[in-house]
Parts: sequence; C-alpha cells; structure tokens
Amino acid sequence: MSVARNRRPFDAGRAAYLALNALLLAFLLLPIVIVLVFALNPTPYISFPPVGVSLRWFEKFFTSAEFMNALWLSLWVATVVLVLSIVIGAACALALARGNLPGRAVLTAFFMSPLMVPAILTGLALFQAYLLSGIGRPVWGLIAAHTLVAVPYVIRTTLAVLHNFDRRIEEAAAVLGASPTRVFFEVTLPLIRPGVFAGGVFAFIVSFDQFPVSLFLVVPKGETLPVVLFNYMKFDLDGAIAAASMVSILLALSVVLVLERLIGLKAYVKL
Amino acid sequence: MTSAAIKLDRVSKTFDGRVLAVDSVTLDIAAGEFFSLLGPSGCGKTTSLRMIAGFEHPDSGRVHVGGNDITDLPVHRRDMGMVFQSYALFPHRTVAENVAFGLRMREVPKPEIERRVAAALAQVALTGFETRKPGQLSGGQQQRVALARALVVEPPVLLCDEPLGALDRKLRQQMQFELKELQKRLGVTLVFVTHDQEEALAMSDRIAVMNRGKVEQVGTPTEIYERPRTRFVADFIGEINILEVGSSLTALRPEKIRLVAPAGARLAGTVETANYLGGSTLLRVRPATGPSMLVRETHAGERASRMPGDAVGLAWNDTDTVSLEG
Repeated sequence: MSVARNRRPFDAGRAAYLALNALLLAFLLLPIVIVLVFALNPTPYISFPPVGVSLRWFEKFFTSAEFMNALWLSLWVATVVLVLSIVIGAACALALARGNLPGRAVLTAFFMSPLMVPAILTGLALFQAYLLSGIGRPVWGLIAAHTLVAVPYVIRTTLAVLHNFDRRIEEAAAVLGASPTRVFFEVTLPLIRPGVFAGGVFAFIVSFDQFPVSLFLVVPKGETLPVVLFNYMKFDLDGAIAAASMVSILLALSVVLVLERLIGLKAYVKL
Repeated sequence: MTSAAIKLDRVSKTFDGRVLAVDSVTLDIAAGEFFSLLGPSGCGKTTSLRMIAGFEHPDSGRVHVGGNDITDLPVHRRDMGMVFQSYALFPHRTVAENVAFGLRMREVPKPEIERRVAAALAQVALTGFETRKPGQLSGGQQQRVALARALVVEPPVLLCDEPLGALDRKLRQQMQFELKELQKRLGVTLVFVTHDQEEALAMSDRIAVMNRGKVEQVGTPTEIYERPRTRFVADFIGEINILEVGSSLTALRPEKIRLVAPAGARLAGTVETANYLGGSTLLRVRPATGPSMLVRETHAGERASRMPGDAVGLAWNDTDTVSLEG
C-alpha cells in the first residue's frame, strides 16, 4: 500500500476534478431524488422531511382518467413526432450535407431556427396561424408543431455523422453494382442510423416534455401530460405531481434504453 | 476470368470551371496489362481513374472498355472492381458480407455466393476471418478484404487508387508482390494509381507518367527509367543529373557515372557529401564550375571509396546519356 501511495502522490488537480464532477452529478440528480421523495411521501401536501413511504400518489395518478388520457395522448404524439422528425430530419441533413445546394449555410440556419426562437413564441405564432387559416386545433396540428421543434435535433445529430462519413464506402458499393437507391439503403442509411436515432431520442423527449408550444395548441379534454400537470398544479400541489414526474422520467429513460439496445447509440460515438 | 482493354480518347475534365484536372489524355491499356498512372498529387491520375470508374464524367472525350463506349454508363453498370486507399469496407458488415456484396447485387444464388466468397477469402489468405468486422482487422488484412471484395465478381478491369498508400513499408512491399502475382494469375486488366515511383517501377507492365493533367510519357518501367523523354519524367523517377549544354538538356543517372582519378577526367571536383544507402553510397560532387553531380557508387565493401573532401574525377559513356525534350 505504501509503495502504491508513493508512486501516486496526492494530486490536488485530480481531486478538484473529481469533486467538481461529483458536484455536477449531484446538481443534476438531486432534484430527481427530491421528486422521488415527495412522490413516496404520503402527506397530502408537499412537505419535508417525509413521514413515510406510500404508493398512494402513484395510485392516484394511474387511476385518474384525466392523467391517463393525457399520458396516452402525450405518448402517442411523441411517438408520431419521433417517426416524422427522423424521416424529415434525416432527409434535411442529407440534402444539406450532400445536395450541393446554393446558400447551404443560410439553409442550415433556417432549418435550425426553431431552436433559436423561444418555444412560447413558436406556440403563439402557430396558434394564431392555425386560427387565422381556419385549421383550428386538431391533434395533427399539435403533432406538426412538435415536429417543427424536434426536427432540428435530428438534423444536428445526423449532420454530425455525415460530417465524418467516408463517401468512398458508397462509391465502393456503386462499383460493386449497387444502384443509387440500393447504395442508400444498403450503405448510407445503416451508417447514418445511429445519428438519426440519437436525434430521434431527443425528438421524443422534446415532444413528450413539450409545454410552451402545447399550451397554445391543445383543446380541453385533449391536453397533453405537461399541460394537465400544469393545470393541476394551479389548484393542488400534492404528491400526484411528483408521481407523474417520476413516471415521465422513467418513460423517457426507457425510450433511451430501448433505442440503445435496439440500435446501439454507442455506435454513434465510433463513427 | 476475362479481361478487357481500356481506351481513354482525348479525355478532359475541369473542376469548378477553373482547373483543367485532366487535359486531353489519351491512353491505350491492353487487356491483362498491369498499368500504372504515376505522378505527383494533383497531376490528374486519380481523376483519370475516376473517369474510368464512372465517378466523374469527362467534359469531353470518350472512355472505352472492351471495345464499348461506356462514357455515359452509370458506375453500377460498368462491372469493374475497385480498391481504395482508405479500403472503404462496409464497417457495419462482416468480412464475408463485405465480400459477398457484389455477388448479392448481381443476384447470384446463395450457395454459389458462399462458395465464391470462401474461394476469394482463401485467395487472399483470410480464411477464418469471415465473421469479423472490418474494425477488428489490421490495415493489411482490411486491404486484402477489399481486394477479395473487388475480385470475387470476376471483373474484367480492376482499378486501384493508391491501394497500398496507408500501409507501412514492409507490409507494402509484401502486398506489392501479392497483388502483382494475383493480377498475373487472374489475368485481369489492372489500372494502378500511385505517386510512389518505386512502386510503379516494381509492379507495372507499363507506366503513364502524368503531370498537370497531361501524360508526359508512356512506357515500360525500363523505358521510363532509362530513357525519360522529358525533364519532368527524368526528375520525378529516381535520382538524375541534368546537364545543360547550350540549349539542349541531357540526363545522366548517378549509377552510370564512374569515379576515376581527377587528372584527365571529363569532370573533376570535390566530394561534398556521401550518403550511405546500404549496398551503395550516393555522393554529391561539386565540380570547379557548374552544378553538383550525383554519383552512385555500388560497393562490395563496407563503405564508398571516396570520402567528403576528396578530389575526384567523373567519367561516363555517351551512350548512357539521354537527351530530354525540355
């Protein structure tokens, strides 16, 4: 032991580095722990310290028709948004990276612009546009709005993969007899897939978590989970909110894990 | 395996409307020939190869393979093999799937694919690597997979774009022998792009030396080395002395010069430096007037007969000099 200690003297820099990392992790994870504590605490108002452990708030959440309808709507919308944004986002990224388009920088900025505009403005603008054009507030309008905000995430991750893409690999496939369509499905798509799905994870979470845009575009009885939670909080501040938050976190986490398993998001790093 | 002759007929290519990358190049490559395109980077050798492959369309001129005009044929219908410097293997597929790709595109029946993939891998000594991914192989192994993938479809033409450029020297030399031997055994027409003159001399049946988009000289390695036609070719291939006599240029290889006593020699001077190269030494001799001369002395003993500072005379035969075009 003493030999090892001699060889590796106390390193102040390294200790500071580890301490900083621990602090950052605590900063990120502590709120989740607090939410979990509140979700399990049976008192009818949010209080500290907790007096016990109970699942009554989870029960309330899962047995409430309002919460459940909202949860299913949110899941359904987020899934459609995921599919739409990976298709649109990947196509945009390919066009931007490969299309030899004039004014490529301007186009990229344009496609990324939903990230720059505050979501509350996007929501308000779409609300007015929908009403003025007589579209109203159908679910597909909500899906379109979420997709608008989610697509830049897919574009960005896909562009990152395309940036390091060795196009000789596609050329090799073409020489071997693959038509442009086959090159795309046999080589291009499998190789950009990790980037596309990494963006898809963001897209799902952006939609599932979306509050400001949804606020303007949902109709009574057709509200997404974040909107329902917000309305609920205006009158009650009990553990049901915390339980709903825990469910949201777990759902988002499971989407990430499932995609990781199926597609291997890690491959994204390797490319 | 059938092989096909290739003809480039006054082919030109400009990029971005500015640089003439390939300037009216005409080449006749015989069926079954090992033909190298040699030159510095930017000389147009890779662009020429890419026009044969179909990745670039010539602005003017025609490309013929096996007697057919293929200028307007898309890449995937040209039935060629190609090997890239970066290997360009499919990273998401196994070695066997990589090699099978071209056969799958040709809708070859599955049992035949398996048989031919196994044979192709055996040919490049990679039996047993079928289920590996390219990322798990060394550079030399990856290039052999690339070779097997290109050759398994039995193309009449194999195009190689600096295929050995990424390998270290020892492996490179070994692959040179293997590639040459394989090409002769299969009889495939091979077009080989390289900037390495030693590699081109060692492997090729014929070499086209290119410079600034033009072909400077086409010939066998011996012709290119012993009888360079232009100053560029003479300079680019190996070491050479260029003697300017009046307005005419004469080239003389360092190994054609003999070291003699200074008195009565064609040229007398002092040894400036002596670079020991193993079996030979390259001496730089500064004459009383005129530019320095390079002299290669092959020695049986451990070192050259002259040291820096020695006075020395140079002698050569007129038949060993080559007059250059300019």
